Amino acid sequence: MPGGRDLKNDILNSSLCTLCGACLDWCPYIKNLDDNLVITFDCNVAEGRCYTVCPRTNTDWHQVNSSFFTDADWSQEIGSCVKVYRAKSLSSIPGQQDGGTVSALLKTALEEKLTDALLLTGSRDNMQPESFITNSLSYIEKAAGSKFLASPGFRKIMQAAQEGVKKLLVVGRPCQIQALRKMQVSQADQLKDMDIISIGLFCMWSLSWEFTNYLQNEYPGLTIKSMAIPRHGVEIMTNQGVKTIPTAKVREFIRPGCSYCLDMTSELADISVGAFEAEAGWNTLIVRNSSGTELVSKAVGNGLLHVEDYPENELQLLKSASFNKKARNLNSIKELIANDAINPPVNISQYDYLEEVNS
Amino acid sequence: MEWMITAKEPGKTYLLQGNEAIARGALEAGIRFAAAYPGSPSSEILTMLGHVAKDMNLYAEWSTNETCSFEACMGASMSKVRSLCIAKQNGLLVIGDALHTAALSGCKGGVVLVVADDPSAHSSTNEFDARHQARSAGLPLLEPATFQEAKDMVKWAFDLSEELGQVVMIRGVTRIHHGRGNVTLGELPEQLKEPQLVAEWDRLVAINWFHDLMLDKLDKARSIFENSDFNSYEGPDNPELLVITSGTGWFYSQEAIDILNLNERVGLLKLGCTWPLPQEFLLKHLRQTKKVLIVEEIDPFLEQNVSSIIGHNPNIQVEISGRSEGKAFPRIGELNPDLVRNAIAGMMQVSYEAPTSIALPADEQVLIPPRELTFCAGCPHRASFFVLKQSLGMRPAGGLVMGDIGCYTMGGQRAGHYGLNSLGCMGGGVNMAEGLGQLTRFGFKQPVIALAGDSTFFHSCLPGLVNAKYHNSDMLFIVLDNSATAMTGFQPHPGISVTAMGEKAEAISIEKLAEAIGCQVTVADPYDVENTTETIYRLTKKPGLKVLILKRECATLVLRKGTRRRMWVDPALCRGDDCGCGRFCSRVWGCPGNIWDYTAGKAQIDEVVCIGCGVCASLCPAGAIKVEGGEA
Ligand SMILES: Cc1cc2nc3c(=O)[nH]c(=O)nc-3n(C[C@H](O)[C@H](O)[C@H](O)COP(=O)(O)OP(=O)(O)OC[C@H]3O[C@@H](n4cnc5c(N)ncnc54)[C@H](O)[C@@H]3O)c2cc1C
Ligand code: SF4
Repeated sequence: MPGGRDLKNDILNSSLCTLCGACLDWCPYIKNLDDNLVITFDCNVAEGRCYTVCPRTNTDWHQVNSSFFTDADWSQEIGSCVKVYRAKSLSSIPGQQDGGTVSALLKTALEEKLTDALLLTGSRDNMQPESFITNSLSYIEKAAGSKFLASPGFRKIMQAAQEGVKKLLVVGRPCQIQALRKMQVSQADQLKDMDIISIGLFCMWSLSWEFTNYLQNEYPGLTIKSMAIPRHGVEIMTNQGVKTIPTAKVREFIRPGCSYCLDMTSELADISVGAFEAEAGWNTLIVRNSSGTELVSKAVGNGLLHVEDYPENELQLLKSASFNKKARNLNSIKELIANDAINPPVNISQYDYLEEVNS
Repeated sequence: MEWMITAKEPGKTYLLQGNEAIARGALEAGIRFAAAYPGSPSSEILTMLGHVAKDMNLYAEWSTNETCSFEACMGASMSKVRSLCIAKQNGLLVIGDALHTAALSGCKGGVVLVVADDPSAHSSTNEFDARHQARSAGLPLLEPATFQEAKDMVKWAFDLSEELGQVVMIRGVTRIHHGRGNVTLGELPEQLKEPQLVAEWDRLVAINWFHDLMLDKLDKARSIFENSDFNSYEGPDNPELLVITSGTGWFYSQEAIDILNLNERVGLLKLGCTWPLPQEFLLKHLRQTKKVLIVEEIDPFLEQNVSSIIGHNPNIQVEISGRSEGKAFPRIGELNPDLVRNAIAGMMQVSYEAPTSIALPADEQVLIPPRELTFCAGCPHRASFFVLKQSLGMRPAGGLVMGDIGCYTMGGQRAGHYGLNSLGCMGGGVNMAEGLGQLTRFGFKQPVIALAGDSTFFHSCLPGLVNAKYHNSDMLFIVLDNSATAMTGFQPHPGISVTAMGEKAEAISIEKLAEAIGCQVTVADPYDVENTTETIYRLTKKPGLKVLILKRECATLVLRKGTRRRMWVDPALCRGDDCGCGRFCSRVWGCPGNIWDYTAGKAQIDEVVCIGCGVCASLCPAGAIKVEGGEA
C-alpha cells in the first residue's frame, strides 16, 4: 500500500476525503482542525497506515464481507442483512434524533457489559461535532441527536487502543464504519486485541463546517438546539424558533467527498440505524450479523427498545433511496475517471466492487 | 577590546579592529554623546562605547531606531558637546529625512555620522552605496582606507564638523569595520567639554533659506579637502594608468601594483575625502595621464563624480573605467585583491598568473559537509515557523506571511519551511500586510500575517500597527518576542530592562502598548506547538486586526544561563524510518539537536547543541524523546 504522499495526492488533493478520522493521531504529518484534514510537511514513508485504512482507497471488499457477515442475505442496495425493523426507544431521552434507537442500544451495551467504552459524537454548540470516548451512561444523552457536520471522530479508536480498551462500541457514519473495517482487517493495526461493536448511521451526505459560518451570518446570535432533515430541506431548531434552510442552499455545503460515496446505510456495520421515513419518532434498524443480533435482542429483552417488522413497501423505498445514491455517485466517480481527476482512477473504495457485482 | 580603546598610551601601537579604531578616534575627539541602533558590521562601536561610557564620562545609548539615535546626537550638539552616531547602510536611510534637514540647520557641537556599508551584503538584506546620501543631503564625506585612518579620520571629522558647523559623514565598509590592523594611539583629552548654555538665537532650524548656506559649507569643505593629508598620490609623474581609489580599494590597488611590478608605470591616487571631491588636486593628476581606473566599493560614485569633473574640463582627455557597465569590475558585489589585480593587469596589458592554490594531500583533507543557514538548536523561531506552516496549511487557500528583518528572516529558507511570502525593510511586514488585508473587501480570501521581532517592533512597527489598527485591516500581526536583538549580538532594546551603559531601565511591554492602541492581544508560547497552531488558525479566521505575541526567550540566552535540560531518545520506542514518523524530528522539524544514528536506524539527541527546549519531544508521535525530569 502506498504512503502519505499518495494519500495527499490521491485523496486529500482530489477532495475525496470523508473526514472519518481513521488516519489521524498515529502520524505527525496528518493534522486536523475543524473540518480541515491536511498533510503539511512532506511524508517520505512509502508504505503508510494512512493509505491502508482510508475508506477511499482500494480494498478487497469480498474479504471484508466474508470476515464480518457470514450468515446474512446480501443485496446490492443495502448490503448484508439479517433482519430489518422499525424501532423506537422505550425510554426516550431529550435530544434524541428520531426514535432514540441508537441511544437505547448504547445504554444496553454498557449495562450488559457488552462493551467497556463508547465512542460517541456530541458537540458543544449542537452544531460543531466533537467526538469522545466514555464509559458513563450520562454521556449517552450528551451525544444524542445527529450532528450533520462531518467529524473525524474515528481518530479516537487509536486513543482507545493506546489506552488498552478491550471492548469498544462505536457509532459512526458509513464512511467511518468502512474505515473501521479496514483497520480491523489490516494486519498492521493494533486493533487485533480489541472487540468492536459498530453501529452505523444512515447517511446521505455530511456538511462542511462552513455551514456554521453561514448560519451565524444569516442569523446573528443564533444558538442551535438541534437539526433535522425532512424532505423539504434542513430544519434547525434554535433559540429563535425553527429555521428552514432550503435544500438547494444546504447542498452548497455538502462536503465534496460525499458525492463519491456509495454507501447510504452503513453496510459494513453490525447494526445500522436511520430515520423511519414514513413516521416521525421511529427508526429504521438493520441487523447485519450475530453481534448485531445479540445487542438488539438484549435491548428488546431489557425493555429499552421496541421493534416491529419493517413494512415491505417501506423496504422497497429504502432500497431505492440507497440505490439512487449509489447510482448518482457512481456517475460522479465515472466523471472523475473520465476527466483524469483521480489517480489512479480506481482508488475509490467499493467502485470496483460495485462495478463487478453490477456486471 | 575596551582596555585598548581607553589606554592612555599615546604613540603605542595596537592591533585594533576597525570598529575599535573608530571608537578610539571618537574618544580621542572627546565625545560626550554616542547613539546607534544595532546593525552589522558596525554594532561593536556602540557596544564598546557603552561599556566604557561611565569611565570615560560620556553617555551612550542603543536608541530605538536610527533616526532616534541621529537626532539625539543633533540635540546633544545644541549644547556644543561632540556626539557620534553610528549606523549601517540601511539604518542611514532610516535617518535619511533627518539627515537632509540636519544639513540645512547644521550643527553646533561636532556631529559625526559613521555609516558602515556592507558590500555583497554579508550581513545585510541588500547592498547599496551609502555615499549618495551624503551627496544628496549636501554633507562632507570621508572614507578611511586603513585602520589607522579609521581612528584618525573620526577625530579629524569632529574638528571639521565644528569648523564648518556641519554634520560630517564617514563611510566605512565591512572589511574596515570588521578587519584588524595596526593603529598607533593618540592622546585622550585631559578635559572634556561640558554642555554649554544654549543662547536664545543658538537654534538648529531647518528651513529652505539655508540651502545656499549649506552649499557654502560644502565649498569650504572642498577647499579644506584640497590640502588634506587623507588625499595623496604615489607614483610616476606621468603614469600610463592612474588608479583612483577610496577605502579598501587603496589596499587592493597598492598590492596589485607591487605584485605586477608596475610602480614605475602606474600611479595611485588615494582619496580619503570623497564628497565634495578635491577638484584641483584631482585635475592636477588627471592632466598627467590618459587612462584612469577607479577602484571603489559598490556604486560608481567616484567614477561618475570624477567623470563630471572631466566633463567640465574639455582639455582633459582620459579614458575612464571602473564599475559602471561592469567593464573593469563586476557591477555588483564586493571587490577583492584578485579582481583589482586582474583589472590593472588587463588595462596595462601585462600577463599575470595567479598562484594555483596548494592542494592538501588526500589523507589530510578534511571533508567539510555542506551546511545551510539555520536557526540555533532550541530557537523559538523554528517552532514559530513550524506552527505558522501548520496553521496556514489548515486553510484551504493557505495564507501569506509578510516577513521582516531579524534572525527570523531565516524562516524564508528551509529552516522555516520557506515560510515568508515577502521580505523588505525594517517594519515592512506590518505595512505590506495592512495593504493586502484591506483587499478582503474585494473578496481577497487568504489570511494575511505580518511578523516582527521584538526589537524590530520598537524600531519601526509602531506606526504600521497604528495604521493597521486605525484602518482595521484584516490581518494578524505576530510579534516574535524572544527578548533579544539576537541577530546583531544581544544589544538592549526598549523591551529589556538594561541599557547600553548597563543601567537599569523600565522595560516597555509590547502587550500593553498594543492594547493601549486598542488591539486585541493574545500571548502564546511557540514551544506549545499544538495549542499555538490552533491559536493562529482561529485568529486568522477572525476579521479585523489581531495581535499575537509569541513569547519565548532566545535559546542562546537560555544556554548562557546554563539552565538547559537533558533530552534523550528511547530507541525501543523510536519508529525511525517506519510509518508514523519517517524521521520526523531530524528530517522535518530539523533542529540541529535532533540527529540520526545511521547504524541503529534510530533518532538521537546531539547533547552538545541541544538546549532541552523539549519541543521535539512534544512532536514525536511515539513519545520516544524523553526530557530529564519528566514532562516536556
Ligand atoms: C451526517 C449524518 C447524516 C445522516 N443522514 C441520514 C439520512 O440521510 N437518512 C437517514 O435516515 N438517517 C440519516 N442520519 C441518521 C439519523 O439522523 C439518526 O442519527 C439516526 O436515525 C439515529 O437516530 P436515533 O434517534 O437513534 O439517534 P440518537 O439516539 O439521537 O443517537 C444519535 C447518535 O449518533 C451519534 N452521532 C451524532 N452525530 C454524529 C456524527 N456527525 N458522526 C458520527 N456519529 C454521530 C451520536 O454519538 C449519538 O449517539 C444521518 C446522521 C448523520 C450524523
Ligand atoms: S455521504 Fe458518505 S462520505 Fe459523506 S459523510 Fe456520509 S458516509 Fe461519509
